[in-house]
Amino acid sequence: MLPFTYALRNLFRDPSRLLQTVGGSALVVFLLIAAVALTRGMDEVLSASGSTQNVLLVGKGSEESIERSEVPVAAESATATSVVGIAEKLGVTAVSGEIFYQAPVLTEDGTKGPALLRGVFESALLVHVQVRLIDGHFPSPGEVMVGHLAHRKLGVPASQLEVGKSIFWGNEELKISGIFVAPGTVLESEIWFDRNDLASLTQRDSLSSVTLRMDTAELEDIELFTFQRNDLELSAIREDRYYAKLSEFYEPIKLMTWVTAILVAAGAVFGGLNTLYAAFAARIKEMATLQSIGFGRVALFISLIQESLLATMTGTLLAFLAAYFLLDGRTVPFSTGTFTLVLSPAVILAGLSAGLLLGLIGTIPPAARCLLPKLPSALRSN
Amino acid sequence: MSSLISIQSVSKSFTKGKTVITPLDQLTLEVARGEFLSLMGPSGSGKTTLLNLIAGIDTPTSGEIIINGENIAALSRAQLTKWRSVHVGYIFQLYHLVPILSAYENVELPLLLSKMSRAERREKVLAALDLVGLADRADHRPSELSGGQEQRVAIARAIVHDPDLLVADEPTGDLDRESADSILQLLNELTEKFGKTVIMVTHDPKASAAAHRSLQLEKGKFIEDGHLLNKQPAEQ
Repeated sequence: MLPFTYALRNLFRDPSRLLQTVGGSALVVFLLIAAVALTRGMDEVLSASGSTQNVLLVGKGSEESIERSEVPVAAESATATSVVGIAEKLGVTAVSGEIFYQAPVLTEDGTKGPALLRGVFESALLVHVQVRLIDGHFPSPGEVMVGHLAHRKLGVPASQLEVGKSIFWGNEELKISGIFVAPGTVLESEIWFDRNDLASLTQRDSLSSVTLRMDTAELEDIELFTFQRNDLELSAIREDRYYAKLSEFYEPIKLMTWVTAILVAAGAVFGGLNTLYAAFAARIKEMATLQSIGFGRVALFISLIQESLLATMTGTLLAFLAAYFLLDGRTVPFSTGTFTLVLSPAVILAGLSAGLLLGLIGTIPPAARCLLPKLPSALRSN
Repeated sequence: MSSLISIQSVSKSFTKGKTVITPLDQLTLEVARGEFLSLMGPSGSGKTTLLNLIAGIDTPTSGEIIINGENIAALSRAQLTKWRSVHVGYIFQLYHLVPILSAYENVELPLLLSKMSRAERREKVLAALDLVGLADRADHRPSELSGGQEQRVAIARAIVHDPDLLVADEPTGDLDRESADSILQLLNELTEKFGKTVIMVTHDPKASAAAHRSLQLEKGKFIEDGHLLNKQPAEQ
């Protein structure tokens, strides 16, 4: 076997080629990390947002979009009284009639940004159990409480959505009464209104949905209720399945993310391959000389692999450093909420695998071109 | 004197497009142990092809090449690679040193294939460099050496693992007269003092005259009248 230092020293034969290989692999790995973090972040926030214990009652035909859904206000009390086995706390049934709306709101600094608005009463806290107030209090009429990532959705600094500040919608000024968290869910990007306020501001006389939390009840019981009360024109869907469907809705966006990443990465891969081809082609005679001395092709191939792995893994390390500073912990707003990019073990594994594969598979064609020619002609090559 | 190399009816041919080219045709040759043989002939006469066959770098289309009792024509590529690492030292016209390695490291390369300790390798490398007169240049890179010095390093690399056979393809072809003469003197010493068998391809009649025997090749065959016996090989 050739000593490892041979591979190491070969790296520095041509610093510009080394830079190209390291830079190319860093770009490929960084794009892969970004794509995986993006799609996983979106999937995770949507899957964490739905509970298997919650059921959404939405208007028939609106199972895929709460925004378009119309549910009579009477459905809330009808559900609470008719369905047996709904969770309760201190005698209050965990049923929450809600209005959901997307509209731009204005902050005190004059920035207007898209916001996700939810009109609720305090019973919402019984169904959305992840929600926890970290500052202030639940909104009374004329007030709102904001999720701690709502500022990212609006595109304003967090300081614009502190307790005591105001947001404006039309001519209405709404005081921020509290800030809540709901770790890892889309709820953290929402602004919660008093339901009556939102109803009057949106001039709605119906709800968007009724969410209930099951205790001993099962989905079939709730479906039976919707059949029995077909006058309400309701459809029941488990909350986790609703968000899974929503996730499917974003598949084209995720696909586009991958296509873009793959196209850019392909360019970098071919650039890198070209660099390796040139680097190895310049050494056909040297490889042939080493073979004539008695080094086998496998030993030489391993040395070439070591060399390109050193370059690609250096690129991978740089990609992780860039991802750590540029991506990790960064929140990304999308139409349904906000998700956080995390360098999770799965993302790290994907990046490492990409770096390894680049070094291993990317070396095979140029190494074959370098090692396969017959020795007499390879020894004469220029 | 015993024969180290016995070549029996060796032919080499290959196809180029639809044409069959036969650079070597039914060659038979015996080379004694410790002999310094030169192969001469015009370009395309087959001398380098013959040298490559003897060095185990190429395989014949037919015939036998028996070196030290072993028919290397029957060995696989992997077996030939291993065989070369023990039995052959190859000296190239353009030295073929690895540019990123020092003279010491270049000479050490063949020893990396054996199970020697670092200390044993060091002893052998320094002895080989000393023999070619370059012990003081051990840490120099090829780019820091003259052509003659590079060829000496290449010779040290070819002999460091103590092979029976040295093959040299135009070893003086890229050198000035003075350097060429010193390389030829060195090759002679290797046969006479160390009993190495040297086969050298050359275009240079003066270089050929330094060998014990010179054979002329033309169109893949030896020319009978071209045989020259310059001097007798050293007794073993």
